[in-house]
Amino acid sequence: MSKKSKFRRSPEIPTASMADVAFLLIVFFMLTAVFTTTQGLRFQFPKDDPTQLNIQPEESVHIKITGVDQFVVDRLPMTLAEIGGYVQSKVSQNPKKPVIIQTMPDVPYYVMVDVFDLLKQLEVQNVSIPTESEIERWRQLGYFE
Amino acid sequence: MRLREQVWTIKPTVPTASMADIAFLLIIFFMLTTSYSPEKTSVILPESQIRVEVTKDPSIIAITEEGNIVFTSGEETSVPLAGPDELGLIAKEIIELVPAKEFVVKADRNARYEAVDGVLEALRTNGVKRIGFLTRAEVQNSENP
Repeated sequence: MSKKSKFRRSPEIPTASMADVAFLLIVFFMLTAVFTTTQGLRFQFPKDDPTQLNIQPEESVHIKITGVDQFVVDRLPMTLAEIGGYVQSKVSQNPKKPVIIQTMPDVPYYVMVDVFDLLKQLEVQNVSIPTESEIERWRQLGYFE
Repeated sequence: MRLREQVWTIKPTVPTASMADIAFLLIIFFMLTTSYSPEKTSVILPESQIRVEVTKDPSIIAITEEGNIVFTSGEETSVPLAGPDELGLIAKEIIELVPAKEFVVKADRNARYEAVDGVLEALRTNGVKRIGFLTRAEVQNSENP
């Protein structure tokens, strides 16, 4: 006759390794997580219609970036801080005054972003960043020198 | 006769029952915040004070410091392109399918503007309306090279 044991084990789900599995998953997600940044400056291209080219040079502010910290605004050499004051005075008279940013090909990209950022801070509504071919077309039409 | 005192001893244990709960909470956090970006080109973004959410699910054009162009439509992993002409053809195909599709320029801060100009020209001439320039938050007292 077999003798029954007095000690009875209560039924339970083993959860000891659950924390291990969970932390393993955490490490995986932490290592693979990429916090993407899609923040920056927005820009809208003008409508590509040559017949609607109505921006006259004297009506706009022309910022020419010739090098790092080298700016010519409406034919006057200026610093970035001076550009702020100059554009502010022009835009306060006419909030819709177009501001054109022309960057020379060998200038680092961040200089253009600095100027564009400054214009955004000044809440300039009408910023234009023409490409080299657009500027060439404007030259042919006599709007640019 | 004095009865022998019964001594109850509790074994010292570290309570680990809630560890799995904490771990799973962290897992859920990482699962929700993780986003797998198809664009992983390593560039140093220019800084700007104004930073707005550029767009969701954009096509990303990365421009390296050397001026190489890497493109992703936002769904596949990024591929290097031969130049702005190839980008223009791809942009045209995308715009024909999704006219409101936005493009994001993720250029290295020290890239020559010539490379950025080529990309802008390719996008503008192929019907892209809006773009974004990715930037990073401006760090105060940073030393710009």
